[in-house]
Amino acid sequence: MTLTEKYRPKNLGEIKGQDEAVVKIKYFIKNFGKGKRAIILYGPPGTGKTSIACAAAKENDLEIFELNASDFRNKEKLSTILKPAVEQKSLEKKNKLILVDEVDGISELDYGGLPELIRIIDLTPYPMIITANDIWDKKFNLLRKKCELLQLKEISYNIIKTIISEISAIEGLSIDSDFITELSIKAKGDLRAAINDLQTLSRLKDYFSIILDERNKETDIFNSLRKVFKEKPTNEIMGIFDSVNMSIDDIMLWFEENIPAEYKGEELARAYDLLSKADIFKGRIYKQQYWRFLVYENIFLSYGIASAKKNSKTGFTSYKKPSRILQIWMNNQKTIQKKSICEKYSQYVHVSQKRAMNEFPIIKQIIKSNPNIQKELKLDEEEIEYAQL
Amino acid sequence: MVSSIWTERYRPSTFSEIVGQDNSVKRVESLTNSMNIPHMLFAGPAGTGKSTLALIVVKELYKENWKENYLELNASDERGINVVREKVKNFARTKSIGNIPFKIIFLDEADALTPEAQQALRRTMENYSTTCRFILSCNYSSKIIDPIQSRCAIFKFKLLEKKDVEKVIVKIAEKEKLDIKPDAVEILYEGCEGDCRRCINILQSTASISPLISAELVATIISNTKPRDIKVVLDYALSGDFQSAKEKLLDIMLKESISGQDVIKAIQKEIWNLPVEPTIKVKLTEKTGETEFRIVEGSDPFIQLQSLLASFVLAGLGKE
Repeated sequence: MTLTEKYRPKNLGEIKGQDEAVVKIKYFIKNFGKGKRAIILYGPPGTGKTSIACAAAKENDLEIFELNASDFRNKEKLSTILKPAVEQKSLEKKNKLILVDEVDGISELDYGGLPELIRIIDLTPYPMIITANDIWDKKFNLLRKKCELLQLKEISYNIIKTIISEISAIEGLSIDSDFITELSIKAKGDLRAAINDLQTLSRLKDYFSIILDERNKETDIFNSLRKVFKEKPTNEIMGIFDSVNMSIDDIMLWFEENIPAEYKGEELARAYDLLSKADIFKGRIYKQQYWRFLVYENIFLSYGIASAKKNSKTGFTSYKKPSRILQIWMNNQKTIQKKSICEKYSQYVHVSQKRAMNEFPIIKQIIKSNPNIQKELKLDEEEIEYAQL
Repeated sequence: MVSSIWTERYRPSTFSEIVGQDNSVKRVESLTNSMNIPHMLFAGPAGTGKSTLALIVVKELYKENWKENYLELNASDERGINVVREKVKNFARTKSIGNIPFKIIFLDEADALTPEAQQALRRTMENYSTTCRFILSCNYSSKIIDPIQSRCAIFKFKLLEKKDVEKVIVKIAEKEKLDIKPDAVEILYEGCEGDCRRCINILQSTASISPLISAELVATIISNTKPRDIKVVLDYALSGDFQSAKEKLLDIMLKESISGQDVIKAIQKEIWNLPVEPTIKVKLTEKTGETEFRIVEGSDPFIQLQSLLASFVLAGLGKE
């Protein structure tokens, strides 16, 4: 048995560092039937989502009916697994709690899985708990509306340290307290990671000699950026992303953001040319599903960009987080009004929304100063405000 | 109720009011007068009267009952052919109201459908041929599969000529009491590129600022509608300010929601207005073409465009 299983809280009282969430989950189960029928616990890994669900079940004497994302990969399985649980209520003595763990693990490919889940939320005679790391994806819009949302925050360093010390004491591991402190800081709010590290340590006699897996992603990517940008290319540099706990797509965004901070003029052009080549291979991977191209993407991104400079660089450069994704998101928020105006306009004057969007500057000018048109199109206040910007 | 939107207010309501499409209009009119129409395909550029003609046909056939007997769909807005089929099915299920034994479905921008979807559409057209007539509109009839073309009477619509546009402008000016300078008409015609809807929209847009329509004012309105800031992006790049060029480019792409390919088109045109040597213009054009190719091949247009901007920075330094 792993330590994380062994020390999973048995009741809600044992959950530490998530006081607010515990209160809310108690309320949800106690008042089930009066409000929404499912609750989504979301937050970073290792913050206690599954633990809270299990503890809530035990405390209320509910049998957990657990569905991992990997259990149902399609609509068919979803309905065969879930339907009996939902419909055979009278056959079972114990009441149930349905747990759908890691719902964001249900990939886009699971065609029909999500609508089925939403349908089941409407039907379920038992409280449902859904866990997720990230629930803000567009595809979860409808799911979010159907559920209570409960965010779990990263667990504070002090609480992680207390728990690790306790477990270490019970297990009889004589681990230096400095090391526990370091381990707790490195966990970055991920309690499971901390406990797993402790377990790894407990198996090794000479634990001071091992280097803990770096949980701090940013330190990793900063180091890689620094090596690639500052140092001369070496064969080792091609493996540099192996140690970065981040997808190659994300790494590419980090480079895109930071190339201009390091390179100028010809070096800039060369570096971007190589980034562009890496992206071509990425495109080919997507289109042809030929994953060996990843090798080239990787080499252009590491050795390639490192080779774009004439001499190695010195000095400190502060690298920035990729900002494009955030900008795209913010922009989408801004253009919601534009879209709804175009929708109303296009129905009214017999054109497609696409064309209305393309010609929006002219249309906006027309709508802006004419209250009659605003009335005619039944624009609401927010839309009028947007048109007048 | 008279609409305040001019494209609606001045939408022709009789066959004779449609300008510039005499041939097609005459044939459609005589078909309509026979009280029986075949499936029809209206092919031609935007803003030349396709939707308008369909509306006139419908109003002519059904008079005051036209709304009950008419379904308008837009292929580029509906989510897939199945949505189209579902809507058609629901609409075609009930009998037409009045004397005409069929209803009319207008499917705008039918060329937005993939060939596979068009095959499905063909089946739908056959299934409901006793109760429904289809009027399809498209920009290019070549993008419509042959089996559909062979089931339709095809009518071509052409871009409006200057005299047609003038006719429309004069009529609106009279009704709206606008004072339009002759050179403004010229600019309007050039700016609308033969698209009557666009012409009227630009006109109303201009009139919303002043009833005195001068060439300058029209030109300002038109220039506001183009991705003009591309020039600013290139100016930043040529002056060596890569970071600003990059930020401005992203800003434009997001705000105006234009694609990488649209940006490339604009850049390719703008190169010829740049203050650089002819040899460099040629080099930059080559780079632009290569970038367009890479956008098609790659996955992230914005990365490819940044790479192109880096080439412009070099060109600004007088290097290749």
